[in-house]
Amino acid sequence: MTVAPNPSGFVWQWEWELPLIASLVVSEVAYVVCWFRGGLAPQRAHLAWKHLAAFTAGLVIIVIALASPIGANDERLLSMHMVAHDLLIWVAAPLVVAGGVPLLGDTNRLPWSLRQALELLTSPGVALLASTSLLWVWHAPTAFDRALAHEGVHVVEHLCFLIGYLLYWWPLVVRPEAIGGLRGHLARAVYLAVGMMQSALLSALIMFHGTVLYTTYLHVPGATLDSALADQRLAGALMWYPGAVVFALAAALVIREDVVGPWPGPRSARINGIRESPQPD
Amino acid sequence: MASAFAVPPSPPAITPLLAPDRANGAAIRAALAYMVVGLGTFLLLGLLGLLMRLDQGGLIVIPPAWFYRIMTLHGAGMVATILLAALGGLAAAVSATTRLKARVLWIALILHLIGTGFVILTTLVGGFGAGWTVLYPLPSHGDIWPLSAAIAMYVGYLFIALGLLVYCLHMLYALARAHGGLANVLALRYLFSFGRDTRSALPRPPELIAAVISIDGIAAATSGVVYLIPMFAHAAGVTSVNALFAKNAVLLFGHTMANLSIYVTAGLVYAALPTFTGRPWRTTWAVVCAWDLIIILMLANYSHHLYADFAQPLGLQLLAELGSYAVALPSFIVTVVGALTLIYRSAIRWTVAPTLLMLGIWGWVLGGIGAVLDATIPVNQVMHNTMWVPAHFHTYYLLGAVAFAWGYLFYMVRELTADRDARMVRVAAWLYGIGGAGFILMLFVAGGHSVPRRYAVHLPQWQVYARIAVPFVLLLALGLAWFSWDLGTRFRAAWRGTQSAESKP
Repeated sequence: MTVAPNPSGFVWQWEWELPLIASLVVSEVAYVVCWFRGGLAPQRAHLAWKHLAAFTAGLVIIVIALASPIGANDERLLSMHMVAHDLLIWVAAPLVVAGGVPLLGDTNRLPWSLRQALELLTSPGVALLASTSLLWVWHAPTAFDRALAHEGVHVVEHLCFLIGYLLYWWPLVVRPEAIGGLRGHLARAVYLAVGMMQSALLSALIMFHGTVLYTTYLHVPGATLDSALADQRLAGALMWYPGAVVFALAAALVIREDVVGPWPGPRSARINGIRESPQPD
Repeated sequence: MASAFAVPPSPPAITPLLAPDRANGAAIRAALAYMVVGLGTFLLLGLLGLLMRLDQGGLIVIPPAWFYRIMTLHGAGMVATILLAALGGLAAAVSATTRLKARVLWIALILHLIGTGFVILTTLVGGFGAGWTVLYPLPSHGDIWPLSAAIAMYVGYLFIALGLLVYCLHMLYALARAHGGLANVLALRYLFSFGRDTRSALPRPPELIAAVISIDGIAAATSGVVYLIPMFAHAAGVTSVNALFAKNAVLLFGHTMANLSIYVTAGLVYAALPTFTGRPWRTTWAVVCAWDLIIILMLANYSHHLYADFAQPLGLQLLAELGSYAVALPSFIVTVVGALTLIYRSAIRWTVAPTLLMLGIWGWVLGGIGAVLDATIPVNQVMHNTMWVPAHFHTYYLLGAVAFAWGYLFYMVRELTADRDARMVRVAAWLYGIGGAGFILMLFVAGGHSVPRRYAVHLPQWQVYARIAVPFVLLLALGLAWFSWDLGTRFRAAWRGTQSAESKP
């Protein structure tokens, strides 16, 4: 690793940045108020505790990603930086969508302009393109090093990831009949597979690259070429493997049962003569 | 034993693939996705095979490191992808009478795709080239690829094993539920009473085969996990691994997976052939006995890949030889005899699907004979590291399992679209058969002349076999392109066919 954090002090290295914390607290308070009022739409939405829990958990994960020792060390270790990104795009974003979208109520009854904007942004093609482009563009060495050098750019980078993946998860998390919702197993499986493959490819390129991609990490005190390369390999793995697990879990959660007609069942199937047996001698 | 070939008093109906009252359209759609992904990937991996043959013939030059990457991807990918197509076909066949959850089938497919992604990226980007067998300790000590590539390969295998496990567990659960227990779906009472106890409804042959395959699939996936856990531990520096144990575990996993795809696709013949001959394929005592035996025998024969390992206990070596003979013969006999009995004087129309199914039968038989010869210890001592081994497994894969899978896909599309197959497509089936046979024959001839396998660079005197094979591979490719075109033009209608059946009252 580039620089081994001091184990005893590591867990206390929290960075409580006021703008970040304030914006998350305001978001949570606003959500709770709306949740108690029954949503944003004129008609009361079906809001449950699980929605509140999901939204709150999403915000807590953002705090852990950006303010905890993970975020605090992301300018010293690429692997830590990747964990922060993982938490933002694989965990926080789907939780915020799962908790936040029900607040809107029936999305088809939203004001026309908002509906149009949502239809455009959350259409699966646009959402996939946006999330993929943002992920790849920000992992280009020039952009990544720029983000590490300038705090403002770094914040924009994280916002881009969060917004891009809020859009990505929307079509999978919302109900199929809602705006942007994907209908059918095939559409959901293809969307998941494409999202998974592009992030896996990026992870593999980072993991197997023979030189240090993000040169900022070479200038961290104590870093050597070998340690920076090892850190880069770990970072690629930390992006790839947890991503695979997340996509596997997502498949289990978002691929839903098709509505099917009545099924005769084994007993009636036998009565109806579908089964060929028993076959006595 | 007289009951073994007894004929039931009233001929049962032939079960159609899709019927409105069974609402299995969602499962059929998942099955179609399996088959399209599986056979589509097969086409791409086949191109890699062509590249290797061109290189071995001295017609192009592939750097050795890339040759081994391609060989690894071709081998690992083919085992996984043909199994995927086969499992899709089996799900379609079983769903005609047993309710399968399409959701679970899709989840298993996603798990499989995650694993496939790992394998593709590890070989093409990560440089991993230790072969599909990933035999310990080579993956962990490769000078060409980093340790992280070996670990990524293991992770890919883990996801593929998990996908197989999910599929098999669901299949077994669904069948056991439909038949009132696992013993009923395996027809054990019927088996052990020599056909006299018929109190329980017997499974249709595809259901019986699906249950057998699922049990072995669970065993294979479990052995894969058993192999991978110490590999991960070793990569993390926690433990050392017994190389013989690792080789046994990985071959129990990989060899059984390869065997599964062949036996699964053989099960598809039982489902499809009756619709072409107009005669049902009955669950006779012989069918039950042959397929139930496979549960044990398929797990016993992998060890014939360890004849050269002097440390392997002699008992396991002998078990491998006996298991290899025993696993092939019963299922061959009942399937081949059953298929020929169904076809004899049935006025079957030899459209593309039955042509491919029949080609598959002969490919399976010939490949099996090659395998049985290879499993004979004195022969194996001489032939195992020659082209003979790729020859036999290409025979039962390319001319057996893959022919079955393409044939079944043609059958599915025909059933779902209610269209008759174009007569000319039969020509593609012949191109496929002739091209495949020529390609494989040259592997056998090369093996007979002791040309070694897994060599990136071939001596000039070895190159003639690959050069003769190349035109046959091109014929094969032409046949496959024709299949793909024909199915591609009708696929949308087939997909709609699965939905229209559900919309009917």
